[in-house]
Amino acid sequence: MSILSTGVSGLSAAQLALTTTSNNISNVYTPGYNRELTLLEDSRTGAGTEVTGIQRQFDYFTATQLNQANAQLKSLESYEVQINQIDDLLADREAGLAPLMQNFFSALSDLAAAPSDPAARQGVIGTANTLSAQFRSMGDYFDDMQQGINTQIKSEITQINNTADLIAKLNSEIAIARARTGAEPNSLLNRRDQLVAELSERVDVKVYIQDGGAYNVSIGNGQPLVSGSESYQLVAIDSSLEPYKTVVGYEDSAGNVLELQESLFEGGKLGGLMSFRSETLDEVENKVGQLAVSLAMEFNAQHMAGLDIDGDPGQAFFDIDDPVTFASSRNAGSAGFSAVFDDVSQLAGIDYELRVSDATAGEFEVIPGDGSPGFTVTLDGSNQLNVGGVTLTLDDPALLVDGDRFSLLPTRQVASSLDTLIQDGSLVAAGQVGGSGDNLNALALQDLQNSAVVGGDATLSQGYAAIVGDVGNRANIVQVNLAAQSGVTAQIRTLQQSQSGVNMDEEAANLIRYQQYYQANAKVIEVGATVLDTLLGMRA
Amino acid sequence: MRISTVTIYEQSVSSMNRQQGDFMQVGQQIATGRRVVNPSDDPQAAAQAVATSQAIGITEQYTDSRVAARNSLSQEESVLSSVGDAIAKAKTLIVQGVNGTLSDTDRASVATELEGILETLVGQANATDGNGRFLFGGFSDNSTPFVDDGAGNISYVGDTNNREQRIDASRLMPVSDHGEAVFLSVQNGAGYLAEADMGNTGEAVFTGPLIVDPTDPQFGDSFQVDFVDVAGTMHYSIDGGAPVPYEDGASIEMGGLSLKLEGLPANGDSIQVGPAENMNTDLFATLNKALTALRTSQVDNADTAAFRNSMSTVMRELDNSLDNVLTVQASVGARLNELDVVDGVAENRMLSYRNNLSDLIDLDYTEAISEYSLRQIGLQAAQKSFVDINGMSLFNFLK
Repeated sequence: MSILSTGVSGLSAAQLALTTTSNNISNVYTPGYNRELTLLEDSRTGAGTEVTGIQRQFDYFTATQLNQANAQLKSLESYEVQINQIDDLLADREAGLAPLMQNFFSALSDLAAAPSDPAARQGVIGTANTLSAQFRSMGDYFDDMQQGINTQIKSEITQINNTADLIAKLNSEIAIARARTGAEPNSLLNRRDQLVAELSERVDVKVYIQDGGAYNVSIGNGQPLVSGSESYQLVAIDSSLEPYKTVVGYEDSAGNVLELQESLFEGGKLGGLMSFRSETLDEVENKVGQLAVSLAMEFNAQHMAGLDIDGDPGQAFFDIDDPVTFASSRNAGSAGFSAVFDDVSQLAGIDYELRVSDATAGEFEVIPGDGSPGFTVTLDGSNQLNVGGVTLTLDDPALLVDGDRFSLLPTRQVASSLDTLIQDGSLVAAGQVGGSGDNLNALALQDLQNSAVVGGDATLSQGYAAIVGDVGNRANIVQVNLAAQSGVTAQIRTLQQSQSGVNMDEEAANLIRYQQYYQANAKVIEVGATVLDTLLGMRA
Repeated sequence: MRISTVTIYEQSVSSMNRQQGDFMQVGQQIATGRRVVNPSDDPQAAAQAVATSQAIGITEQYTDSRVAARNSLSQEESVLSSVGDAIAKAKTLIVQGVNGTLSDTDRASVATELEGILETLVGQANATDGNGRFLFGGFSDNSTPFVDDGAGNISYVGDTNNREQRIDASRLMPVSDHGEAVFLSVQNGAGYLAEADMGNTGEAVFTGPLIVDPTDPQFGDSFQVDFVDVAGTMHYSIDGGAPVPYEDGASIEMGGLSLKLEGLPANGDSIQVGPAENMNTDLFATLNKALTALRTSQVDNADTAAFRNSMSTVMRELDNSLDNVLTVQASVGARLNELDVVDGVAENRMLSYRNNLSDLIDLDYTEAISEYSLRQIGLQAAQKSFVDINGMSLFNFLK
């Protein structure tokens, strides 16, 4: 082997090393780029060097760890964005529910002082209007948030499907590239790993590497999302028990859509949205609804026990919708319930699922949403059930089928329906025995402020304080968890970057090194040539 | 360990972000003056703040309620005070009118003066507050409670309800007294009255009754003393009992009471004796009775006896009515006092609530401002280190 060819092998190695270095430099800020190293070996065929490969500095274990950490981080981030909205909503002490309830009861106190004064009567109606408007606005805000989450879930599902498609395509491209060149298609591999990282930010996924090097991605209970060069679709569907909610459906190869349980999603933005919805939004909505129902029903009952200025019995003061109940869209039977509020003190601000355990006997298993023990109820003679302060009436027991499911959401979505029915001051029932100075009922109405009307154990104000404390606690926990998770993620990211990231100083040093390497090899060729010239010159 | 250039950049930026976030947080606290801006800043404090704000709201509500209560009670007190004066004046007139030296004409002029007092009293009984609501009508405060039937007889058409107001968490205070309680009632245990029958024709004049034995088993009962002529001698019987010979100037004893009688009654005369609350308790009826008596001309001894008996009853009834009005007035005064006491308590409570609320959510400015400077320095340091670290590159030396 000649000195010349040795020099040339070094020269081309130096060129490749410089290319790799410049590639590293140019991709320093490229997301998903993994630093590359030029692998050199001394030539097996004699003197000189040989480039055995351009190696991608990628550690699958660290990358997976980082993906999992990122999944949790994104979950907490999206949770935080949502819960902060409620946290902000409750932060306003002047326009919150508490001062408006206080104003309402102060107006009742004024009414008790001057029961025949038209201004005092109008004051009660005015403050009631403001209060019910605030309940409605809060209820609407929650409804909007539910809608917003539905939209976000739909968009996440579209993104997940697109990403899954791309991973499946890359699986086959990578296989083809490997077969064709025998070398590692580094940029394709980078892109695929980056897509897996992006997917992890959206949803919990598990990745299995197949023998051939393909990534198989699964979701939920192990439903495959990417299998080799195939990808499967997620679809946004209405929840079977709470149809106003969008949930994730999985379409299997036969085209059947399976409803994936919300509890299967914890990580990623999707997991954060779903946890927020089931843990916080539903709960706060239920509790605010419970306040609205307690106020409306208890106030109406007392108001109807009184007499208006003309001595006529009081009418309902507030209007509020009936409790919401749904039959599962997957039921075999077609029976349905209607619901009305019954004993407000029994309302617990939670949801219930009813499952038909014996259709012929009209027996249901009730599963409370707060995780408390389930119980069994049976239809009475008039096809009615009492669950959690609500009377449910079944339309036709003959249509029940074992295993059918129903949901009862007693105080969900009712806050946005609270309205003041009475707008004529003379219809305010301030008295009980008659007479323009009769303030007995005004006093009784005023006393509701200090009565345990919420769930039978809290006043309206205490009920509201509990909501504020509860939301504050949850938001606080999410913030603390998020800070901790950010730290953990940053550490793993630093570790991953120390392996796969580009350091500019290092590359600058490499530039100098490989430049000198190149120059030295050029010198070798020059020397080789001189030697050859000397030899040739000797003959002359 | 290798540090990638991206890590250096990311860590500097996230450090600046964090510092900036903390700086903003303190800035927001200073701007709002509150330590707890969002419930999540301190959930316990935020929930307690709701409860404390509500306590403040309720305390203010009761304070407003006390203002209204004080207003009603003060008006009532001032009316009651005039009523008391009027009754006292009526009593003076009765004393004048009883004077035996007066002629029919003199008594008629006393009657005229007394009638003026009666009218004043009816006016006071129908007094209204600033909004035109009758003070003594009970719940029926929009119609005149004491009405004249045209013949001078005054009757009460209000009801017997007293309006109450919640002036504190555990106190429901009556802020009015209905007309019946003020003008048509006497206090329990107001003593005994004797009243001669209108149709009496004898000359017997009673004095008393006096209580001589409160332990008598029949003490507290009402009695009727009937005078009957038994075989030419005047006898009396109590509640239809066995007739006892009548003795002029002696006292008749019944149920622990003693009633002194002077002059000779006629056959068929009778006198009612009983506890004041069982007899006439109507102030206006009493005054009308006095007017009738004063305006009746006195021809013989029987007329004089009837007049003196009537005036004696009227005097006792007026005493009882005055007692009653003064008692109601005292109770109103006590309620006004109570309002003052509750006001004081509420003020203290309010102060402690406000302090409590301030402790819960308000900002300690000294602490916050030093925190603010600290965060500012932290942020500046992070910015400086970002610039320094990013300025250091080997590329700077490659020429």
